[in-house]
Amino acid sequence: MITGFDRLMAAANGEKSDRIPVFCNLLDQGAKELGLSLKEYYSKGEYVAEGQLKMREKYGYDNLWSLFYVGKEAELLGCKNIIYANDGPPTIGHMVFRKPEDIHNMVIPDDISNHPEFQETLKCLQILKKESGDKYPICAYITASMAMPAMLMGMEKWMDMLLSGPFDLRDKLLAMTSDFFKKQLVAYRKAGADIIIYSNPFGSPYFVSAKLFNELSMPWMEKDLQGVDRFGLVYYCGGARMNQVLNQVIEKLGFATFYLSPFDDIAQGKQLIAGRALCAGVINDIKLIDWTYDEIKAEVKRMLDAGMKGGKFFFGTLVMPLYIPEKNIRYMLEAVYEYGSYA
Amino acid sequence: MINEVRKAYNQAIFDTDKILAMRIVHDALDRGLSPEDIVFKVVVPSIEYMSTSFGQDFGASLAQHFMTAQIAALVTDEMLSKFTSPPEIVGKIVIGTSQGDFHGLGKKIVIGCLKAQMIESVDLGLNVSPEKFVDEAIEHNAQIIGISSMMLHTARGENGCLKVRQILKERNLADKIKIIVGGAPYRYNHDLYKLVQADAWAENGIDAGLVLKKLLEEIKQ
Ligand code: B12
Repeated sequence: MITGFDRLMAAANGEKSDRIPVFCNLLDQGAKELGLSLKEYYSKGEYVAEGQLKMREKYGYDNLWSLFYVGKEAELLGCKNIIYANDGPPTIGHMVFRKPEDIHNMVIPDDISNHPEFQETLKCLQILKKESGDKYPICAYITASMAMPAMLMGMEKWMDMLLSGPFDLRDKLLAMTSDFFKKQLVAYRKAGADIIIYSNPFGSPYFVSAKLFNELSMPWMEKDLQGVDRFGLVYYCGGARMNQVLNQVIEKLGFATFYLSPFDDIAQGKQLIAGRALCAGVINDIKLIDWTYDEIKAEVKRMLDAGMKGGKFFFGTLVMPLYIPEKNIRYMLEAVYEYGSYA
Repeated sequence: MINEVRKAYNQAIFDTDKILAMRIVHDALDRGLSPEDIVFKVVVPSIEYMSTSFGQDFGASLAQHFMTAQIAALVTDEMLSKFTSPPEIVGKIVIGTSQGDFHGLGKKIVIGCLKAQMIESVDLGLNVSPEKFVDEAIEHNAQIIGISSMMLHTARGENGCLKVRQILKERNLADKIKIIVGGAPYRYNHDLYKLVQADAWAENGIDAGLVLKKLLEEIKQ
């Protein structure tokens, strides 16, 4: 049997297996699979693991997730309130920093693996590893140093501090969140995560100018990645575009996998990467909600036509909204399995 | 002199240098440029300038939009108190993020850009209920309700724009108060604003002013 790992390794090496690898990021959907509310579902690592395994089995795609919701990282740093909805992902309802001085009081936990807030994630990872570890790559999501403060003080205040200072405080905070990134990475890898999504919207030219990218984003990404094994590390800008920075990120940061934005031109992205890295073409999963069967097929075909040439390509989604009808998920996957086949 | 000031100001914004931008404005004032000219001939054109280069390669980025808006609001606030006669306000909008949504940056950028364009905004804050959007619009005599949503479910869910629309209909206000929406999900699907029954949307804070002026015209007719 050909596994998700086989497909991914083949693609990474520029070889062909039966078809291209397919990453389908279903998170909240797991609750429905288990007949639980989102709040119940996310209360236990066992549930999330079971949801992940069930959905992968049901749809046949190639990846598993240890991510509950992104706000979990803020919980590791003291966030006390997560707000649940019935029809969408949990969001942060408590900002750890109320005033700038609070930054001085933050402590980055030394040992994430033993942190109480990490235990359910750990359980989830252990189950995934045991049940499917050598067949389907387990993905973990970690926020880059530059994006983490948005979850601790809000994007508005963070943007202000990032651009207008006080710069000593900003740099102190970034040093802490960079340390936090590294420590999370250690914990996730120790627990068996195969693929680490390095999430940094500030690594996108949608967010920052060329000048800021070079003077701020690059140095902080270099710090995050200092001494870090690049194997299994994926460059992701939170869904924002990245084509213009691909070359720099390969040359200076040594990433070997990119998760493009639906706003990136796939053919152009592949051309810029020029065989130096693995690249995911990513579908606009917000449009997927309303597309017809024919529209879905046509869009998948367009994407794969643009991306499959020359190999080193896989298919991906962003954070799939709960509003996507199940049949559209199936249509999308059927189309990828068909057009993405090498048989 | 105006051209020179405008150029320097644009460059400061492009470099996201707030301190320099403010210094340029104050120097210009000292050298005799009127507060009116600073707003209408320096700040407003800089907003339009940002708009044309946004989204193109390494053109203007969100960081620069944020700066444009923040500094535009700062300068306009300061200059308004120095105007010889009060300026004509083009219209009024109440704006907030939809229920369950705590992402405030988009709204902030929009408000900053509108201020310089003489559209008055009332900031309703985060996590605003549909009833509150309507009640506040009536209370403040606003012609427009602005709803910012950064997540799909807060844009499309039953307590977002759809409910605001329903309340407007129930109260027979649909002709008097228009709805404009914006935020990440609308950028991914340009038809989403129709699905949630808004009157319009804008891709970014800078375009919001142009779209709003059009909406205001429609209401007047
Ligand atoms: C940065 C970012 C993050 C950061 C910071 C989040 C924050 N703000 O605190 C991090 C990495 C932490 C993050 C986390 C999450 N994110 Co996020 N994130 C983004 C990203 C890259 C940008 C969003 C943002 O902050 N933009 C800043 C605003 C100001 O920019 P803007 O949208 O361009 O705003 C302009 C226009 O929209 C317009 N506008 C805005 N409002 C209004 C209002 C009116 C009236 C008008 C006219 C115009 C207008 O003007 C603005 C200024 O020019 C987007 C993807 C993208 N490319 O947009 C995803 C995105 C918003 N995230 C998404 C999701 C799902 C999440 C999570 C819920 C994931 C999860 N399952 O946990 C978490 C939630 C975190 C939380 N709050 O608890 C999804 C939402 C869609 C969906 N599937 O529901 C997106 C779209 C990515 C995706 N497609 O999957 N995220």
